[in-house]
Amino acid sequence: MKKALRVVASLLLCSAILSACGGNGNNTGSESPAPTNNSASNNTEEATVKIIGFNKEETRKSYLELLRQQFPNYDIQFQFVDNKQFKNVVTTYLASGEGPDIIEGTESSWIAAGYLEDLTNQPFVSRYYDTGIKGFTQNGKVYAIPLQSWFEGIWYNKEIFAQNNLTPPKSFDEWMELHDTLRNAGVKPQAMGAKSWESMMKQSIGVALNDFYSKPEGKDFDGKFGTGEATLSEAWLSAFKKWDETIAKKNLTPDMLGVEYDQALDEFATGKAAMWESGPWAYETLLQKNPNLKLGMFPIPGSAEGSGWLVGGPGSSWSVNKNAKNKDAALKVLDFTSTPEAQAALIKDNFGTSFLEGVDNSGIPEQYADSKAAFDEGHVYVPWGNWGTLAGNDIIMELGKQLQDHLAGVKSIEEVLKNTDKKAEEIRNSMK
Amino acid sequence: MKTTGWNLKRNVTFQLFVLPALIGYLIFYIYPLVQTFIYSFTNYSLYHLDMEWIGIDNYTRLFKDDSVIIGIKNTVIYALLITLLQNGLAIPLAIALNRPLKSRNGLRLVFFAPAVLSPLVVGFLWSYLMSSTDYGLINQALRAIGLNDVNWLGNPKLALYSILLTQVWQWTGYAMVIYLANLQGISKDYYEAASIDGAKAWTVFRQITLPLLLPSISFNTVMGMIGGLKVFDVIFAMTGGGPGHSTETIVMTLINKGITESQFGYGSSFAVVFSLLIMIVAFIQLKVLKKWEERLF
Amino acid sequence: MKTIDSYRRSDLILEILLIILALGMVVPIYYLFITTFKSSIDATLHPMWLPVEWKFLGYVEAWKAMNYPRVFLNNLVITVSSVAGVLLFASLAAYSFARRQTRLNNFIFYLILIGVTVPFQVATIPLFRLISNLGLIDNPAAVIFVNIFTLISFNIFLIKNFINTVPMELEESASIDGCGVTGTFFRITLPLLLPVIATVAILNTLTTWNDFFSPLLFLQSREKGVILQEVYRNIGKFSVDWTAFFPMMVLGIAPLLAFYVFMQRFIISGITTGAVKG
Repeated sequence: MKKALRVVASLLLCSAILSACGGNGNNTGSESPAPTNNSASNNTEEATVKIIGFNKEETRKSYLELLRQQFPNYDIQFQFVDNKQFKNVVTTYLASGEGPDIIEGTESSWIAAGYLEDLTNQPFVSRYYDTGIKGFTQNGKVYAIPLQSWFEGIWYNKEIFAQNNLTPPKSFDEWMELHDTLRNAGVKPQAMGAKSWESMMKQSIGVALNDFYSKPEGKDFDGKFGTGEATLSEAWLSAFKKWDETIAKKNLTPDMLGVEYDQALDEFATGKAAMWESGPWAYETLLQKNPNLKLGMFPIPGSAEGSGWLVGGPGSSWSVNKNAKNKDAALKVLDFTSTPEAQAALIKDNFGTSFLEGVDNSGIPEQYADSKAAFDEGHVYVPWGNWGTLAGNDIIMELGKQLQDHLAGVKSIEEVLKNTDKKAEEIRNSMK
Repeated sequence: MKTTGWNLKRNVTFQLFVLPALIGYLIFYIYPLVQTFIYSFTNYSLYHLDMEWIGIDNYTRLFKDDSVIIGIKNTVIYALLITLLQNGLAIPLAIALNRPLKSRNGLRLVFFAPAVLSPLVVGFLWSYLMSSTDYGLINQALRAIGLNDVNWLGNPKLALYSILLTQVWQWTGYAMVIYLANLQGISKDYYEAASIDGAKAWTVFRQITLPLLLPSISFNTVMGMIGGLKVFDVIFAMTGGGPGHSTETIVMTLINKGITESQFGYGSSFAVVFSLLIMIVAFIQLKVLKKWEERLF
Repeated sequence: MKTIDSYRRSDLILEILLIILALGMVVPIYYLFITTFKSSIDATLHPMWLPVEWKFLGYVEAWKAMNYPRVFLNNLVITVSSVAGVLLFASLAAYSFARRQTRLNNFIFYLILIGVTVPFQVATIPLFRLISNLGLIDNPAAVIFVNIFTLISFNIFLIKNFINTVPMELEESASIDGCGVTGTFFRITLPLLLPVIATVAILNTLTTWNDFFSPLLFLQSREKGVILQEVYRNIGKFSVDWTAFFPMMVLGIAPLLAFYVFMQRFIISGITTGAVKG
């Protein structure tokens, strides 16, 4: 009996090792792509196209309506997953060989694992400007098409500003003074949903864009950071220290760590706070909450006077699941998305500039007029898109969390950047 | 050994009874557990789908990884405190309820009720109660009596304890009910004899009640620790591990590393450490309880 | 004669204090329910009062938004299958362990005891990939199987202990009468096991119904999700209209709460039996 047991136990161990080493777990069960939707299909083929995104459905409304009009035979399904869980959920889907057909965004781990379809030779890719495609290219292959650019700046309440004789600041110090004036007038200067790791992260990087990236040494930094030749601690420290003044002056306070994005939106919309950092996607919601809200957006200012910088870049994107059930339908949707009509629909609900060649981007809605100078000078950028294989959310998420600790008084700015560098190092090592 | 045909059939049937449970258990529990152990020595991840053996590199990396250390620290503190508080409150409550009170059943109903609620919903509900906005009930109440708002979930030093508070609310009744049943099984004669001897209440408690509560103390403390160590739902609902990493627990870190970051090998080494932790804790507890039992009886 | 058990004045004070405490404990639940009938302004201004104007629409909208019938059904299917499955397999196995103490059986029993201490969450990563490889992602069977075989250790443990207290004479006489093992088990032993079966049935129901972890991992699409996943999906959606989320929370806890209210005596006695005898 004992011997039989030992045999059973070793068989169990063997099979465990073998199947683990097989390593193709993510592809078994999906080796049979659905060939029923041939490329020779015409538009009467029925198909379900599942899109998964981290931007709320209301910001895609016009676009989805247009899609459904264009493809009446497709059942277009949109699934929203909060950004906190997005990577988890999609990775799970992709690893199981199932899942959505179109995904908002790319991750270098998905590309490395072969989950995303190579779009390099698709006809619609060439319709985009290089600047839009670059961020979604790895090893010379294109894995996604850019949707409209996104950007984030500081929304401000025009009425409150007017009442206090304030205008959008041209420098960081001016911005700080502005906070003091508002505070003395009994108004909460800035709302912030610091419960999310994104808000402070972007604001501090905004100052870095002004102070560091606009200088010559900033030009190649991102590439070097991606390969590990440079660190954030050296490059970003002085900019971050400057931004830190806002915490020292109590413009951002620890209690904001308990405030969610939606609550901060609410504070700004109802006039409880005079400023709120966010982007165009919040515009419709803000007006819904308060139709009388007069708002504008100015860029994040830097130490020196200037037009400021917006944190932003090639927006999110659509990538295609390599194991998508309805790949052809998904590719058709992407093809249609690469038309001026579709781009306009995207922009309608969530303003941004399109990367499609030939689309007229000159019309900037009135609420962004205060940021026009920044747009004109091309002061819209995000570093993490250009970190090569380090691109993706992991590092900036860590930065955001470290900043939370900093706001609570637990870590210093130096430690924040040092720990973020450490995380980058960890990820770089895990990829070797 | 000679077995008749009938005996053989009986023996086989008996073994077959075990089979369904065993097979399922091996597939869905033991097999993944073994794989965890094996993965922990590899660099299995989305970047290394063909995994390679890397010896104990994952383990050495663990010791330098701040998020891992924080996760373990948070979880151990949490588990210890929930077990202490839950039982420290439940025992007196049970003793109180053991009195011939008229509303005993109603009281028991109420104290136990939170235990049937989903920890996820409890987490969400208390997030609203503890929120810093103007509809946060607790802060409203504090303001009403002239105190300042407390940043329950936004203060990294406080958040874990705020969550702990909600769980004490949720689970004390559960423990209490078990203690109460234990108490009700204790013969009144002991207490009669003690009162005749003029024993003080505290002595009665220490010499009579506490020893006789040993079975339920064992059960509750072991369950409390294990439950505390694998806490997930309520933290997920209330803070998602934040602010910063201050409420991240082991299971959460495990999911972050193992699934979100798809570092299957590295995450598995952490899982192995986790299971060792649990086994050590359980072992220590059982030893302590056994010693106590031996001392008393 | 005043015995140790008679109601004294100190007991009256105690009772009053306990009632106050109990009322305090209930406040969050009261707040939850009462807010479901209020508008957000009403709830912000008068959190603890009865609604200025009773709004029932919240429940209707929550019901629709969560697609409640569907998720309720999913939850029900998963819980019933899991509980039935684990009860069946566990009692069969426990019977064998209790009545037939061979070296093999003892070895297997100790193997199964591991499941009582080490939580299955430890093996989340490979378990996830296993389910993936079996093609069971987004299939309730995944949650059911995981439930059954991760709860089975605890169940076997409790049931075996109980069987040990059941005298063997009845079974022996049955077997003398020619009843096979299976027959004896189902006709004689199982009925006698009813108390412990009831206990574990209740414990298992409470655990599986509220389980969020496994569905989160294995059930990806909305059609297959459980109630709690719908609740989770909706958090953060409402900022001005924050009270709109409350009916969803209530719908999330209502089934078990109702179950508890009707069965509480049963539930409590079940849990205590398990704990004290286990």
